[in-house]
Amino acid sequence: MDYLKTGGDMSLEEKLQVLTDAAKYDVACTSSGVERQGDGRSIGNCVAAGICHSFSGDGRCISLLKILLTNECIYDCKYCRNRHANDIPRATFTPEEICTLTMEFYRRNYIEGLFLSSGIIRNPTFTMELICRTIWLLRNRYHFNGYVHVKAIPGADPEVIEQTGFLADRMSVNLELPTAEGLHSLAPNKHRRTILTPMRQIQNGIQANRNDLVLYRNAPKFVSGGQSTQMIIGATPESDYQIIHVAQGLYQKFGLKRVFYSAFVNVTGDKALPALPGGPPLLREHRLYQADWLLRFYGFRAEELLDERRPFFNIMLDPKEDWAVRHLEQFPVEINRAPLETLLRVPGVGVKSARRIVAARRSGALNFQDLKKIGVVLKRTLYFITCSGRMMYPVKLDEDSIVRNLTSVRDRVQFGSDGMSYQQLSLFDDAAFTRPISVTERQQVAVGQL
Amino acid sequence: MVVYRCEDTAESIFTAVYRAYEEKRCHEDTMLCLTDDTFLFAEDMEVEADAVKTRKVMNTLLRRFGREDCRRLSMALAAEDEEKAQAVYRTIVEGLRCKVGPGHLFDNLARNEIHKAFALARGVNTEVGHQIQFLRFQELESGILYSRIGPKNDVLAFIMPHFADRLPIEHFVIYDEKRNVFGIHPAGRQWYLLRGEEADVQPRYSEEELQYQELFRQFCHTITIEERRNRKLQQNMLPLRFREYMVEFQ
Repeated sequence: MDYLKTGGDMSLEEKLQVLTDAAKYDVACTSSGVERQGDGRSIGNCVAAGICHSFSGDGRCISLLKILLTNECIYDCKYCRNRHANDIPRATFTPEEICTLTMEFYRRNYIEGLFLSSGIIRNPTFTMELICRTIWLLRNRYHFNGYVHVKAIPGADPEVIEQTGFLADRMSVNLELPTAEGLHSLAPNKHRRTILTPMRQIQNGIQANRNDLVLYRNAPKFVSGGQSTQMIIGATPESDYQIIHVAQGLYQKFGLKRVFYSAFVNVTGDKALPALPGGPPLLREHRLYQADWLLRFYGFRAEELLDERRPFFNIMLDPKEDWAVRHLEQFPVEINRAPLETLLRVPGVGVKSARRIVAARRSGALNFQDLKKIGVVLKRTLYFITCSGRMMYPVKLDEDSIVRNLTSVRDRVQFGSDGMSYQQLSLFDDAAFTRPISVTERQQVAVGQL
Repeated sequence: MVVYRCEDTAESIFTAVYRAYEEKRCHEDTMLCLTDDTFLFAEDMEVEADAVKTRKVMNTLLRRFGREDCRRLSMALAAEDEEKAQAVYRTIVEGLRCKVGPGHLFDNLARNEIHKAFALARGVNTEVGHQIQFLRFQELESGILYSRIGPKNDVLAFIMPHFADRLPIEHFVIYDEKRNVFGIHPAGRQWYLLRGEEADVQPRYSEEELQYQELFRQFCHTITIEERRNRKLQQNMLPLRFREYMVEFQ
């Protein structure tokens, strides 16, 4: 196979700089989902929980060596830094360079494995072949047994994708934008169908491989860490409801392990993209992740959290608090009696603490002090639970007072000013009304001018 | 009251547990103590660590409580805490008395001693996780990987298996500078701990070492998205005390 000889005179430092910079907006940097012991001969193992080896200045974890094979691209997606209309330095790694970097970083415990993505050179199949060959080298020539996450390129030959799947631990196809219309407007070269085809192929491959593994214990594993995808949030006008509805569909119909949400950062300045004067929509991204966890681990459904009439998440309350406040008829919950599923729906109780509660109440009735030891966040929970029939202290079970207590004083000033409130607006519901009294106003009052 | 005076080792504490049962003490009125505190009307018993008794206790724990809970108990014993011996002792007594099944030793978190042992084990487990995340190897001239750590608790014995499994064909050394203990793994062989040796003053690095350190530093710098900069979050996830040992923050 021949390689493109572009940027051959660049040093390894420069290439790493360019190709890391090009890959940094990809969010799927986890190393979880695979438990694999070392084999005693090669380097590497995998831990199911995943390991983050460092944290960058934006607080995101550095788990994998996240790089592009090349940032040359024939596509022209409007949100992407590597679009071919963009004038930026271009570079391409050789497979050997990627393998050496991965091995040397891995030995020093800098990283947990490799995350390899790529711009499209020539055509999707050619690019996928390059990726496949790199991973093959890493596995068979360099004997790397750690975590490898690769992108499946939409539109590539299914056979190459399958071959890559047997070498990688996790594969992902980026959904990019939640709806087909959004994709059409911002990524003219990509189509919903070509994105979903490899996703379906990988899902079927994983299923078939599971059946094989039942029959033959040593059958090669296909994408054992499952597949993931990512969506850009805030580049197109979709609502939160649409987004989590899509995510729920992906979890159920495509058997995905994770859906990642990436707050949109305007790097190209294209006129079709929204300008974001307040920075990337980080809070929105955070709420979507919270809702994502509720879908996957807490037994919630997208329709319960949001609906067509209120398509966006509450800014002040997290999705679970928000749901609980709107369903006060199901509360308070008796901690010593309630089944696990009900406990999971109480704000301030997580999966672990719910399990611990169920285990601990076998040996005796729990009180609020015990709950604190177990790890329940009492300041959020106390409005929604009873211990042996008593609440922690008398609480008025009404939406308004609970919301007032759940939100901090600082937030409360603005609460309701964006039209989200649990009570009818009154004359004094003005954000400016509760601002502190200034010194000049005090003086004016003192001398009778106001 | 009977007070067993132990040393700060798992062996000594397990021997004390064995003796408390052997001498048929009333467990409510028995204490395991690591410090020199004196108690009124207490009968002091010096404990000498005994390998056979330790083995017997550990076998019983393994049989009755299962592998996972035994691991937690030994983690609790690795914590830096003066009351750990008493907490572990009382947890074992409770577990044996209530005949809990394997994996249920720490269920009754409402009890103070069990919660104490649980919290200690959780703290050590977190620190083990942190060390596995943030430990950095540096390649010496001889090709040996060397790492220096300064953990709060005595976690070296828990992190060695992870790296021995991960890097079986490498020679590597992890040095706990707070306790002066070396974890040594010769390539392809069993790892072991070495106590009481002094560390070499300044390790000499291989030629490529500094180059790869620089590459990684650059990688960490480049991967940061400026628009999302969030120092506070970074510090929550990666506490400052680890940065002294990490190449990307030098």
